[in-house]
Amino acid sequence: MEAIQENVEIPEALKVVFAKLEEEFGDKFLGSSFFRGELTFTVSVDDYVAVATLCKESPDLAFERLDCLLGNHYPKRAEAPFEVVLHLTSVSRNVRLRLKVPLAEGQKIPTISGVWASADWDEREAWEMYGIEFLGHPNLIRLLTTEDFVGFPLRKDFPVKGTVGGRIRTDLKGKI
Amino acid sequence: MAGHGLDQHDAPPAPHRPTSAELVERKALTRQRVAADNETITVSMGPQHPSMHGVYQAVVDLDGEVIVATRPGIGNLHRGVEKLAENLTYHQFIPVTDRLDYVSSFAMNHGYCEAVEKLMGVDVPVRARYIRTIAHELARLSNHILWLGVHIMDFGAQTFFLICFRDREYILDLFEMVCGARLTHSYARIGGVAKDLPDGWVEKCRAAVDYLPKRLAEYERLITVNRIFLKRARNVGIFTTEDCHQWRITGPSLRATGVARDLRKDEPYAAYPEVDFEVAVEYDADVYSRFLVRMKEMYESCKIIQQCLDNLPDGPFLAADAAHVLPLKKNVLRDSAAMVQDFMYVIRGPQVPKGEVYRAIEVPKGEMGVYIVSDGGPKPQRLRLSTPSFYHGQAIPAMFEGEMLSDSVGIFGSVDIVLGDCDR
Repeated sequence: MEAIQENVEIPEALKVVFAKLEEEFGDKFLGSSFFRGELTFTVSVDDYVAVATLCKESPDLAFERLDCLLGNHYPKRAEAPFEVVLHLTSVSRNVRLRLKVPLAEGQKIPTISGVWASADWDEREAWEMYGIEFLGHPNLIRLLTTEDFVGFPLRKDFPVKGTVGGRIRTDLKGKI
Repeated sequence: MAGHGLDQHDAPPAPHRPTSAELVERKALTRQRVAADNETITVSMGPQHPSMHGVYQAVVDLDGEVIVATRPGIGNLHRGVEKLAENLTYHQFIPVTDRLDYVSSFAMNHGYCEAVEKLMGVDVPVRARYIRTIAHELARLSNHILWLGVHIMDFGAQTFFLICFRDREYILDLFEMVCGARLTHSYARIGGVAKDLPDGWVEKCRAAVDYLPKRLAEYERLITVNRIFLKRARNVGIFTTEDCHQWRITGPSLRATGVARDLRKDEPYAAYPEVDFEVAVEYDADVYSRFLVRMKEMYESCKIIQQCLDNLPDGPFLAADAAHVLPLKKNVLRDSAAMVQDFMYVIRGPQVPKGEVYRAIEVPKGEMGVYIVSDGGPKPQRLRLSTPSFYHGQAIPAMFEGEMLSDSVGIFGSVDIVLGDCDR
């Protein structure tokens, strides 16, 4: 683990989390970092659900709650311009953990709404804002924008000003 | 608790409390019955409906009077706050945070500034931390009083709504004195607060927090042992600890299930480590428990404010940190260094290290997390507001299932949702 911040002691509770995750998935992690007292692991798409499930089920980790799930877009990264970020919280042990999953353009990621129900809307939002598709999601439709909205608003190439998909469609009458 | 209504009257005996196994069974039976005859009536509540606090739409399928499914609809108030954040400097974004949860604006300002300060590594002066604590607790009081009035109005008590609005005025007046605005305060700044407390404010605030507990005791006499309220609130909308974690329900609704989770204690910030207060906890996980938790919290808020006013230290209210904090306007007009600092700050923005932080604080509605990714520029690369109402709104279908339609209004009110906070 590389500590970005010098002279900062890693808290004992986070060391336990780190040791447990390293033991289970050691060489499968793509990287880890520690910044401002927060532990981050980068996970590949293939291991993502297994890591998340372990974080919830294992009594040593006990991350009962998914604080938030979000997408991110880095247009300058050639091989993995998208990213899904999870913030896990263990209420019983008062520890937080961040998991990151880098994604290529158009790459799909399995849903996690079966593990934490609260991921449902988060995944819908990540899909409508970034176009990241979640495989197996029960209801992947637009959440915050209108049904006929065109484009993915939080991508970096989406303009702040202008009219996109602002028209009213009549052909959807009775279907939604 | 002094003045607690239960001391004076005999409450009706508590009805049988269903266990979580019984609840699961009840929900399964509802599903079976619906699958058997497949006759449901669909009713649309909202987005413009008096029972829905804000533009929340709930399309409910009814079997008789029992709700079997709910399809929520949000987004009517979506303003693309996260996209805006990526195109504004850290300082410019503060007024936008007011418009998230507009019932407790200062809490939103505070949560955002705490996250930015964590990212930048700014030390907030002691006086600013105390002022923030006072303002945050005033925001909590204002939020809970408004919530209480509206919640009780959902059960049919119109007059109580006006009583609550009268008392909320005291708090709005205090905010108006300190920053000029009654609802959208924009009072917190990166590294402190915008202005020092004006003359006479401390006395006025003290008078308000001495007066409010007496009013709260009066509310309790009206509501806490009110038979109509007890019958409609007890054992209604039970949501257990496991459900709460599963749906990321935080704040008073989580504490009503017996979990003493409060970020003011668990991840202390501002002046909370230095004041003495209790975390309000109840154990029945129903609408009535959520009501009791918020009532207790209001007493605790008054206690916290009184302690902060007693120990309010002197000193600067804004950090002297040229790289990260906007200088004071009075210095800008007199001092050339401050003028250059102001110019650089406004034109170029603050100097921010590369990195990412997630900071959550306890706002009146639950835990609000702010996730900031910085690429070293003056604007965030990504800013995510993980606001409580978004997740509480998501859990509404799970809470409604198997309940009566007439109870749904009370359940919706008891989780306290503001749609500005939900839709962002």
